[in-house]
Formats: sequence, C-alpha cells, structure tokens
Amino acid sequence: MIILENNTLKFRFPEVHEKASCSIAFQRTLRIPDDGRDYPLPPGLGTFPLRHVDDYASRLPDAWHARGGVLAPMYQAEAMWINFSSDYPFAVKVATGKICAITGDPWVDHLNREPQDYVVLPDQPWLDGYCIEKGVIRQFVAMPLGMDYTAEEQMTGKAIHGGLQLVAYPMKAKSYEKMMAERSMVFRSASYSAACASAGYSVLGLTPMGLAPGGRMKQQIYDDPKGLDAWDQRHGSRCFVSLVNTVQWMAITGERPPTEPPTARDYATRGLPWFDYYGADAKAVDGSEKLRGLKSIAKKAEQTGQGPLPENETFAVPHVVTLGDRRLVRECAGELR
Amino acid sequence: MTHFGSTVRAIRERLRRDDRRYSVRQVAARVGIEPAYLSKIERGEVAPPSEATTVRIARELGEDPDIMLALAGKVSADLQAIIRRRPRLFADLIRQLKEAPDEAVLRVVREVRDGEW
Repeated sequence: MIILENNTLKFRFPEVHEKASCSIAFQRTLRIPDDGRDYPLPPGLGTFPLRHVDDYASRLPDAWHARGGVLAPMYQAEAMWINFSSDYPFAVKVATGKICAITGDPWVDHLNREPQDYVVLPDQPWLDGYCIEKGVIRQFVAMPLGMDYTAEEQMTGKAIHGGLQLVAYPMKAKSYEKMMAERSMVFRSASYSAACASAGYSVLGLTPMGLAPGGRMKQQIYDDPKGLDAWDQRHGSRCFVSLVNTVQWMAITGERPPTEPPTARDYATRGLPWFDYYGADAKAVDGSEKLRGLKSIAKKAEQTGQGPLPENETFAVPHVVTLGDRRLVRECAGELR
Repeated sequence: MTHFGSTVRAIRERLRRDDRRYSVRQVAARVGIEPAYLSKIERGEVAPPSEATTVRIARELGEDPDIMLALAGKVSADLQAIIRRRPRLFADLIRQLKEAPDEAVLRVVREVRDGEW
C-alpha cells in the first residue's frame, strides 16, 4: 500500500515483512544546460508538493480521476529528480508517459531483467533522468504534452498519458532474511542499521505536463545483483503522478506553487555545491539505445525553430562534493535563502 | 545516558567512520547548536532538546523525525494539533489500535488509490 505523508509516497508491505517499506519523493532542482556536456548531480531544492487526485475530482478530467494517484505542479522547463529512501531492498520501475526511464520500452507492470527495467533500492539513492548511456542520464525536464518534446511523444508519436508512473516491489521476505543472515556473518562486529483533446483534457482547459529529456548528467543506474527471483512481484504497489503547470495547480488546489527555482548559472555563481556519487563496487547497467535516440529539448527546439531554451548557457561547475553510500544528503534549499 | 542521547551518538559515530563531516563540531554547526551542547545531549547530561532541534538532528543524521521525537519523549506539534482538534475521536482510535498489528493499523490509514492506466 502507498500513503502520502509530507509530500512523500510511502510504500509499505507489512504483509511481506515488517521492515518492508520505502519512501519516494520528487525533488525540485536546477535545470542543467542542455549543451552536450556531462554535468555533475545538481542539488535538491525541496520536494514538489503532492496531493491526492481524489481530493480534486470535480476539477479534473474523468480520465485523470480514473487513474488515481497523486497530482504535482511543475513549471515549464523545470527539472526534477526522484529521491529513493529505504533500508529494505526494493525493485522500483519508473516511467514517464508510460515509457520506461531505464530501457525506453512501453510500460508493463512486471519486472524484466534483459535488459533490466528497474532500479534497486537502497543501492540507487536517486534517479535524475533517462538512462541513455552507461553512467550518463538525460535530465527529467517538464514540458507541456502535445508539443512533441516528451519521451512519450518521441517514442509513440502520441500524447496520451504524460506524468510519471511508478511501481515498487519489495524483496521476498525469505531472500531478505537470507541476505541479513549472510551479512551478519560477514559484519558480525559492525553496527549496520495530440491525443490530449480526445483524452478529455481540453474540456477543463487543462494542458497536462510530461517529462522530456534535458541535459546530460553523470549518474549510474546500478545493475541488480540479486536477480528477478529475489523480488516479490505478487505484492507491488503502483502510483500515477499526474503533472500540471503551476497556474493550473493553483486553479485546482487553491494553493500557491513553490517559487521558481534559481537558474543553474546563478546557483553555480554563488559557489554552492554540486554532487558526485560513488556506489562502492556496484556495477552500472548499459544505457538504452532507444532512449539515446531521443532528441533533447534544446535539439528539438532548434529543429522546430523555437530557439534555444532560456538560461541554457554553458558554465563551469565550481564546487563538486563527492557523496558515498553513508552520506546521501543532496539538498541545498536552506543555503539559497 | 538517555536512550535519545545514546542513539544520536551511535548514529553519528557510525556515519563518522566513513565521513569526517559527522564530527560533533560539524554536526552541531549544521544543526545550529553549540558543540558542547550536542556532546551533553549525547551523554544524557541534559534533557533532550526542543522539538525543532530534535527534528534538525534527525534530518542531519538521515533518521525519521517522528521516531527521534518519540525517543526524546515528545510528540510532534502537528500531531498534537491533530489530536486537539478532535480529541475524543483520536483518543478512541489510538487506544483501539494500540495492540493491533501493523497491518491492521495500516488498514485505517488513507491509501493513495491506484486506478486504471
């Protein structure tokens, strides 16, 4: 089951194991330049607000209500990363517009291994974008559905779903107990704890948002060393995260959206940190050829004569903090005040 | 030494083994308190700190603020406000659920509904 707490999705499976829980939140962040260079990890600037779709059913198209889940606001061309937090192992699939962010394949509920279409928690602390090469992703950036920028539209030629989709599967209790027993043997002394109109959007004047590939960033998506058999696929929980622009968010919820994030250049000019992460000896998956073939927002805009993205100039990153698996705090919201 | 203080020290020292930024001095600076005060908290020489400081310590150490508040013998202000708004209802509910297994408790919380997509 999933509950919503402090703008975080909390997945819990007490029927599998008392410790089987994980949290998933969506972090506001800087949009890195979409200039062909590989940037380090940008900071978190606080979580996106999330609300139950059910609470605003009368102000949303029927199709949105039918899919359930939660609602979040994003500015056009705003970036996000997904923050995973768990002590218990989970396999989590992430899609945008029902296109898998790891493989580029259409959404299916179950896990696949060849190629791996999920991330493994707690090894994977974050996911910032589409896995295009081994060790490189293209940043998740919000664009309106129907303008042909999103991964969904580039892959399918249609603008149906938008938003972001998740399913989380806990490790089987037996596999978990075995893993913990093995770990305690090793560490006995250590202390480890277009189609928019037909979908009914225009009726209510809503233009849904989708996610599109932005600039390149250094991030590894870790290979699953445990194998498919470790995951309890009888007990998964899914969530559809519908995205709306900030004006629509105010009209739907009556709440003010967060303020616009600073530009990456402004942030860098102030000498605030960017991040690198090294997951010990973990092996990374290869990137997806399908996702590598997607055009980034800047490339698309250039081709359609819409000009470059605003605030997309190249700059030198001044200060990179290296994080390891014992220090995972990547937020800098307080330092911007 | 209080359970709260000893827990803070154990978590901080575990983190410090891999990252020197988890020294008493640096953690205290990030939390916004004096290093001597954090030392006293860890040794149980003073009562657990205020709710706001406890939450900042929890976040700094990557721990759940509600769990750390409970260890400090506190209930967060937002939970208190919820109970005060409908005291009878929530007192009944909490008493009825006190012996219930986690699964039963989770059945009464509001789920994020999954639909057709």
